[in-house]
Amino acid sequence: MAVPAGGQVRIDWEAVERAPEFQELVRRRRRFVAPATAFFLVWYLGFIVLAGYAPGFMGESIYEGFTVGYLIALTQFVMVWWLAAWYIRRSDRELDPLRAAAAAQAQRDVDRQRADHAARFSAGEEAGR
Amino acid sequence: MTPVFAEVNVEAVVIFGLVVAITLGITYWASKRVRSATDFWAAGRGISGPQNGFAIAGDYMSAASFLGIAGLIFLYGFDGFLYSVGFLVAFLTVLFLLAERMRNAGKFTIADVLSFRLRERPARVAAATGTLAVAAFYLIAQMVGAGALIQALVGIDYNLAILLTGVFMLVYVVFGGMIATTWVQIIKAVMLMAGAIGLSILVMNRVGWNPVELFNRAEAQAGGGSFSLAPGALYTNPVDTVSLGLALVLGTAGLPHILMRFFTVPDAKAARSSVLWAVILIGAFYIMTTALGVGARAFLGEAGVEAAGAGANLAAPNLAQFLGGGAGTFGGDALLAIIAAIAFATILAVVAGLVISASGAVAHDLWSNVVRKGADSEHEEVLVARIAAVAIGAISIAIAIGGGKDLNVSFMVGLAFAVAASANFPALVLALGWRRFNTVGAVTGVAVGTFSSIFLVLISPKVWPGPDSEGGLLPFYDLANPGIVSIPLGFLACWAGTMLSREHGNERSFHELYVRSETGLGAEAAPAASPGPQRAGTRVPTSA
Repeated sequence: MAVPAGGQVRIDWEAVERAPEFQELVRRRRRFVAPATAFFLVWYLGFIVLAGYAPGFMGESIYEGFTVGYLIALTQFVMVWWLAAWYIRRSDRELDPLRAAAAAQAQRDVDRQRADHAARFSAGEEAGR
Repeated sequence: MTPVFAEVNVEAVVIFGLVVAITLGITYWASKRVRSATDFWAAGRGISGPQNGFAIAGDYMSAASFLGIAGLIFLYGFDGFLYSVGFLVAFLTVLFLLAERMRNAGKFTIADVLSFRLRERPARVAAATGTLAVAAFYLIAQMVGAGALIQALVGIDYNLAILLTGVFMLVYVVFGGMIATTWVQIIKAVMLMAGAIGLSILVMNRVGWNPVELFNRAEAQAGGGSFSLAPGALYTNPVDTVSLGLALVLGTAGLPHILMRFFTVPDAKAARSSVLWAVILIGAFYIMTTALGVGARAFLGEAGVEAAGAGANLAAPNLAQFLGGGAGTFGGDALLAIIAAIAFATILAVVAGLVISASGAVAHDLWSNVVRKGADSEHEEVLVARIAAVAIGAISIAIAIGGGKDLNVSFMVGLAFAVAASANFPALVLALGWRRFNTVGAVTGVAVGTFSSIFLVLISPKVWPGPDSEGGLLPFYDLANPGIVSIPLGFLACWAGTMLSREHGNERSFHELYVRSETGLGAEAAPAASPGPQRAGTRVPTSA
């Protein structure tokens, strides 16, 4: 028997938010994203500030015309690739399972509501008979 | 009147024709797949991560970043490189702060995310204003640049070049929606990468694959000009340089046409992997641009500065011609034609992305949800989107032709980034992360961010009292890039507006937005998960 559609079935967002899986997800994501963001902003803005205030240092040749400035610029490229790849690896391995757990918990909650709803519906049918 | 076809580069026109034929074919194919609003704005959410990575690269790297940065490096050496570094690093902001959460929380536009937890109509009007301001400045700059560039490369008259660009852009968007736009962007990214790889190989081959040799040759060719391997040749005001850097790094995360791309993938996992693909492509491209700019200096020298034209935009095409064997040779003309065609494809992909994001702001945000309050049919929404695209395209064509190629657009791309960083970015980040944030905060933030950017650019030396004048309106303010002032102002206004208003009661929808953006629970589903015509098929029913 199909459970009648009803507005009663809804995700309890606050419950999901309070769940340990969700808290752990947010904590772990922040623990990566906050320092990583601070790092890349400092590294990048430091590069710009050095280019602005220390052109002599940045123009110094390391090896036959290859300058400090270019070296630091190249580290920016490596940093972007590395941080992006690291974040994605970590998301796939650590964060996605936590997301799945939070979703599963919400799904169980919804299933329970549905079951309650169905039980109430058939009880109502019986009472009406 | 000057003849329309003076000294037309026939090879270039033939390759143009080929590009146009292929993209129109794709548009025809796409047009039969555009049925719903999700198809029109989000390509049915059926674009894969790698495909979206190519499309982001195609959407992002404008002719300015291809020919413009190569030209700047050719002219100024190191300082030209600062731009490309900022453009790339910006994607970490996108990846860490917005990509996945946008995909999880939104539907088609920036406004979807704001209006999720804020009062719908003011939030949508604010977000649409920010989107349209960014798209307008960016689009006009692209169109004027396109006209001048195509005229120089191919010999087609400026007005005709703009008209052609505008018409093709509209055909892609109006008939093929996001599906056609995406594939135009993918094709462009492939062409752009192939062109850059080819030219880089030719450059490196000439210096025996020794980068140090390339740098040395370039330095030897400085010829008393502005070229320098040390900083300071182009940017003389360090505060201004930092200001520009900030606007690039935060502004990319507020560009509507880039954020919109994340709605085209099936889920948040694909959204984040598309950023990895995009940074691999964009990073490799900018490193190659350096080889092209430094190579142009090494082989064309100071003598090539005049032939490179305004902003040395033609440095890379001239380098291609030189590497192919020089002007008049078959190889030289063929390479020049190929680079010209790549530049054309580049422009088309970017302007199409801008127009479709602007059409989302007008049709989905302003028309559907503000004027009609969601009472319109999906058919009407897509129809209005198409009309809006035509209107936006027509206006931008008219401004570009009416203003002429001498219209001062040098500040417009910078202004677009400044508005994106000062208006869109603070509102989005706070809406996703700050529990207390409210509608008044979002509206004041977007308003202050947008208008302070515009005002500061208007009084900057680049614009006031005339184009590229010295001084500016205020004696103590001489920054060309407003970001360092306008970005903190945007955040401050978001905070002040929130704290000064007594508005509460958005707590509940914040819980939902918060959980949804982090987990993807209840997010707009991919087509495979929701067969059938329903608009928001979700794995778990939402409270709606």
